Amino acid sequence: MSRDTPADREESIIQPDGGTEPAHEDIDYLDREVNLLRPSTPFMRDHLKIIWSSFVLWALVVFGPVTLTALAPEMMTVQTPLFGFPLHYFLVSFGAPTGALILATVYTRYRDRLDQKYGIDPDAVESTAPETGEAAATDGGVEQ
Amino acid sequence: MTVPLQAEALDISFKLVPAIIVFLMMASFLVIGYVFKVADTEGMWVAGRGIGNIENGMAIGANWMSAASYLGLAGLVALSGFYGLAFIVGWTTGYFVLLIFLAAQMRRFGKYTAPDFVGDRFNSPTARALAAFTTLLIAYVYSVGQARGMGLVGQYVFGLDIIPMIVVMMTITVGYLALSGMLGATKNMAVQYTILIVAFLAGVYVVGFSQGYSTILPQIEYGALIADLGREFSAPFVNQPFYLWIATAFSLIVGTCGLPHVLVRFYTVRSERVARWSCVWGLFFILLLYWASPAMAAFGVDLFQTTTGASAYAAEGGMSGAEGDVIVVLAAQFADLPTWFVGLVAAGAMAAAIATTAGLFITASSAVAHDIYTELINPDATQRQQVLIGRGTIIGMGALVTVTAFNPPALIGELVAYAFSLAGTVLFPMFFLGLWWENTNRQGALAGMVLGLLIWITSIINSVLPSYIGALEAIAGEGGALVPIYAQYVPPIGAALIGTPLVFIVTIAVSLATPEPPLETKKMVRQCHSPEPMGQQETAADVVGDNTGGGTPADD
Repeated sequence: MSRDTPADREESIIQPDGGTEPAHEDIDYLDREVNLLRPSTPFMRDHLKIIWSSFVLWALVVFGPVTLTALAPEMMTVQTPLFGFPLHYFLVSFGAPTGALILATVYTRYRDRLDQKYGIDPDAVESTAPETGEAAATDGGVEQ
Repeated sequence: MTVPLQAEALDISFKLVPAIIVFLMMASFLVIGYVFKVADTEGMWVAGRGIGNIENGMAIGANWMSAASYLGLAGLVALSGFYGLAFIVGWTTGYFVLLIFLAAQMRRFGKYTAPDFVGDRFNSPTARALAAFTTLLIAYVYSVGQARGMGLVGQYVFGLDIIPMIVVMMTITVGYLALSGMLGATKNMAVQYTILIVAFLAGVYVVGFSQGYSTILPQIEYGALIADLGREFSAPFVNQPFYLWIATAFSLIVGTCGLPHVLVRFYTVRSERVARWSCVWGLFFILLLYWASPAMAAFGVDLFQTTTGASAYAAEGGMSGAEGDVIVVLAAQFADLPTWFVGLVAAGAMAAAIATTAGLFITASSAVAHDIYTELINPDATQRQQVLIGRGTIIGMGALVTVTAFNPPALIGELVAYAFSLAGTVLFPMFFLGLWWENTNRQGALAGMVLGLLIWITSIINSVLPSYIGALEAIAGEGGALVPIYAQYVPPIGAALIGTPLVFIVTIAVSLATPEPPLETKKMVRQCHSPEPMGQQETAADVVGDNTGGGTPADD
């Protein structure tokens, strides 16, 4: 996990729309709006790209086969050479859940890569023992 | 009141070795619960936030896979054919949506319970109370299915009538839960997952192998059997129409993302990265069972037809609902496997039911002790009082669930699905909008939740209650629903397909029409999406509080 060189970082801040977005380090994330449809930081934009593209694939894998079965029953219920499954049965009972697992793994890998790109070390989290008593319940641990 | 359904084909008698297996398993849960027993609220509800990847993945799996997955799923696939697959799809693929939209953000928000999120995010004690009420309702409906599963399996092992069996099993579950909290429960869940997955896969492999159905991959080798099982097993939309299929799958997917006892698992992990990976692991562990479940259903139906000589589907001599619910155990019994082995399969079902009931009761008890009692009634409650109230809730709920399970209105899987459509309609839109659109405000959330609750409750009154209440049954007549058109488009099992989008629209519209939420709340939402690492015990509210220099975060 090598941190980006300053040169790489320079590159990553040039936006497609040519705007001058400040570098990740200079962004105060608490000042940027959260809106699913209008990402306001480069990080959020990159993250949402992964989210939406994997979400569309997911929707196709999950609802595609069953919808096709309703639209074209003859085509979808043919017996496949694979152990004699009817096609629709295999795609729904095995394909959809397995597809979701594969997409979940892919998403999580990409998301980790995103952390790398922005030089974030998620394991930098300090592990502290929970503070005892009521203080922990109302304040939580205070570090950083 | 009708007599509870018994599974006629099930060999009901006392069996020594299976009884010992079940007894040892229960005893080990109690010991683990006792060893890891907790006395403070941190431990009771979020396990000190120190759980790792695979352990949390297994806990997610155990928490998730209830009697509905272990027993009910194969039953649904066996009895409802292609429609049953909607449950497989709905109960697995929803984890992906949970992963990309909610898991890590929830971890960053970092409070204790789901109602906590709703109350803090929308700055409203009323919203908190509504969420806590919904949480209780979900836990209740969901647990009835579990208690019923425990009772059916208990019958096989101990040979008693179903009612005493439900009472005994629920008593043991409640006992161990009241002793330990979430920490004990999490440690137990990893053990419970191992027991249930080993028992289930052993069942599928041994039945498949001994009967000549399959060798090394029963998960797909059952395909060869499908052509012999008749149209009812595989032909699309013969049992239920396309609309209900989609409605069911959709409800189960959004329900997955709205279930408080699922979300709370992400509060227990070390960091948001662990939250993401444990979600992926959880889905994998769940799939180990869900890949094999339709195979078990196919074996079970075929064995039922060979053993009883009748079609599993014919109106006369077909499988009863109760038999469908225990098809996993029945298949092992029909395959003439040794009693101890069938007992092992049955014990796995017990582990599944107990693990989920544990998770549900913990969330219900925290909803009462933390969200209702401490936040609304007595803000100065001591830890001692909170834990006491929590335990009281577990015992009270246990009693209520036990009584309802004597005569449940539907199959195990269907009962559980009702809870999912409630979660998907009422809570999922609050989590989703609350995390992804900072301008969602209190008024919007309240309007949305009230509407969601209304949709679900009317749907249940419309389609489920008539079979309980004579006066309603008379009005409903043949179709079994008061308003047939409402039952067709908003069935209790798929109420979220119409309900969730409506709740989204209303929440957004009301939020736009009313003032924006305070800046501190918006900052809290921003903190949930910021890539900056945060402390293990820190919540979004802490960070915002520190940042603005103000002492306490915007609490109600």
